Amino acid sequence: MRTSDIYRFGGAKALALTATSIISALGFFWPFLNSENKSPLIFWLATPLALLLLLALIGQANLDAKSLALLAMLSAIIAALRPLGAGAAGIEPMWFLLILASYVFGSSFGFLLGVQSMLLSAFLTGGFGPWLPYQIFAAGWVGLIAGAIPKSKRFEIPLLALTSLILAELFGFLMDLQFWPWVFGPKTQLSYIPGAAILENLQRFISYHLASSMAWNVPRAIFTALLIIAVGPGILKALERSARKAAFVSEIKFT
Amino acid sequence: MIKFQNVSLIYPTTQKTILDTLNFEIGEGEFVLLIGETGIGKSSVLRLINGLVPHHTGGILAGNVEVNGISTRTVRPGQLAELIGIVGQNPINGFVTDIVEDELAFSMESLNLPEETMRKRIEEVLDLLSLNQIRNRKLQTLSGGEQQRVAIAAAMALHPKILVLDEPTSALDPVAAEEVLAILQRLVHDLGITVIIAEHRLERVIGYVDTIIEISSDGQTRIGKPEEILKSSMIAPPIVKLARALKLSDISLSVRDLRKKTENLRSQGRDLLKKPNATGKTLLETRALSVAYDQKIALKPIDLRINSGEIIALMGRNGAGKSSLIKALLEVIPYQGKLKKEISRIGYIPQNANDLLYHQSVSAECLQTDKENSLPPGTTAELLKELAPTVNQNSHPRDLSEGQRLALVLAIVLAPKPELLILDEPTRGLDYESKALLTKLLIDSASRGAAVLIATHDVELVAELATRIAILAEGELVADGDAIEVLLASPSFAPQVTKVMSPRKWITINDVLQGLQ
Repeated sequence: MRTSDIYRFGGAKALALTATSIISALGFFWPFLNSENKSPLIFWLATPLALLLLLALIGQANLDAKSLALLAMLSAIIAALRPLGAGAAGIEPMWFLLILASYVFGSSFGFLLGVQSMLLSAFLTGGFGPWLPYQIFAAGWVGLIAGAIPKSKRFEIPLLALTSLILAELFGFLMDLQFWPWVFGPKTQLSYIPGAAILENLQRFISYHLASSMAWNVPRAIFTALLIIAVGPGILKALERSARKAAFVSEIKFT
Repeated sequence: MIKFQNVSLIYPTTQKTILDTLNFEIGEGEFVLLIGETGIGKSSVLRLINGLVPHHTGGILAGNVEVNGISTRTVRPGQLAELIGIVGQNPINGFVTDIVEDELAFSMESLNLPEETMRKRIEEVLDLLSLNQIRNRKLQTLSGGEQQRVAIAAAMALHPKILVLDEPTSALDPVAAEEVLAILQRLVHDLGITVIIAEHRLERVIGYVDTIIEISSDGQTRIGKPEEILKSSMIAPPIVKLARALKLSDISLSVRDLRKKTENLRSQGRDLLKKPNATGKTLLETRALSVAYDQKIALKPIDLRINSGEIIALMGRNGAGKSSLIKALLEVIPYQGKLKKEISRIGYIPQNANDLLYHQSVSAECLQTDKENSLPPGTTAELLKELAPTVNQNSHPRDLSEGQRLALVLAIVLAPKPELLILDEPTRGLDYESKALLTKLLIDSASRGAAVLIATHDVELVAELATRIAILAEGELVADGDAIEVLLASPSFAPQVTKVMSPRKWITINDVLQGLQ
């Protein structure tokens, strides 16, 4: 027997996560799939619904006391870090901690942490709106991917910094994607054209994404990578120590 | 009620056996004290009772722990929550909520008890632990004794049959400690609860407990009445050591008892010549020094002079202004009045020694100290090796035991050879051995010409080392004088030996033996 594990998706829950991820991907990518000019309602409901479904599923699981305490504490810190940057030009000091914590505690925990902290920070910043489920899912994916980074002692920090560049950009990309169809009026060069060819829309989106990246995504990515280089080693040691102290999956033997 | 059968324990990632074939049985309604040297596994025994070890920590458990007929190997710790209440060493770390009443309700909320039941039980434990006055207060604003009582009340709200406490009085002043112990005794006597505590300060608890379990370093366990166990135990309170030193046939657990037995001895013997206090030059002097926080006056105008070679014990209730005085002397808080210092180096050990430790390993802490004080690398590590040879250089400072951590902090503070050393309650959680080490170290420093100011509740420690005692009450300096005079003058601050031997001016066992020669 072992002590209770830090949260891990297994079997049915991993399947549920994959399924809901695919459904919510529809919620992000619907502008390109909607070749005929139909109502996109079903698509942009996909993400919130998928999220609700997944949270309900996870809520049924018995998170053990140690994992729960860790999840609560880390998501509270991350959520509190987010408004610190005041959102100025993508300076969001939350991502580095999400990435580091997910890296130490693994993908499943990382996903929950991303979801939790984004939801919590919405309470703090008052950032409720139709974009919130998208943000939550995207943050969950960031945690999920960060948790899957291979552990290598030698290149740990460079690897984490590089991944954080990509992940911060990925978050920006996804956010642009869900925002893009609504941001402009119907008749600009960057606007989404309902029912147009995929290529046409893709071109327009990429132009939009590049323009917005300069203002938001590039600073966010660089800022996150710099934070990881600057404070990463210390924080990693602290996190690894708490993982050790909590004795997740230590063996229990009765003889 | 509690049965340990051949219990052995090994933690994961270590090879060392923490407990080796432990056997004992505790009946219902007993007040049990667990004694043994630091690191012997007392905390592990306490946590084995409710299954936190090994279910929460991992490890290999041999033998069987049975509580109220349930073997802990068959249930998770959560399932024992209603049977066993557990109170940690530092209650403030265990609090979940902000307000006393909320804290009392929290464990019941977790178990989803009906609201009417919760209301009733909250009133009940408020009365039981006399907390009604402070039911709406914030937990942070409570004194140490009050916090400890709230923690006990929170555990009692679930109506446990067993209450387990890890050093419940180590952070408390003598009066608050007595208050907590008296309440524990009442729980045992009135409600038939089984109480198990681990405590280093035997002199405080010895009068209350029915049974002692001693775990000695060779792995032997003894269980029995206090009188039997203490006759030959490794660890003993001063009153027992005194009886042993006087070669009395029976030991006594109360001052009254021992006074009767030593009536003849007291009339013999002679008073010791007063050692002239070797006071050197004045290092620090205050004139009408006072401290006020907002509207509240923490320290009324105080004149104090600290000379080299002195060891001054600063005593008084929690909240009497000891910490305020120390912080003012260190000039880290604003103060009024005059403060004249003739020294450059002050070493300071705060109440929470962790505040001085922020590196990842012991060796890194030591090197940092060398660097900051431009000492040759290795000086601090060398000093630490002298103080505590067993400390592993690669351990994380926060993973050390209390005694080891104090040794590390002392090494860090003493390495640059400060002329004045200020310690704020250094002995909480220390066993007799670590205390002896501390005593020796401070006396050494003083004999080299440094001055020591030590704020403490520990009268036995004060008796061993202080040359001068200053007592604060309500922010006023109510006594300041020669250690012997002050100790003899105030009964509540007197050490056990003095209580037994008064009116003789003997304060340590050594004094008694010398006086009787």
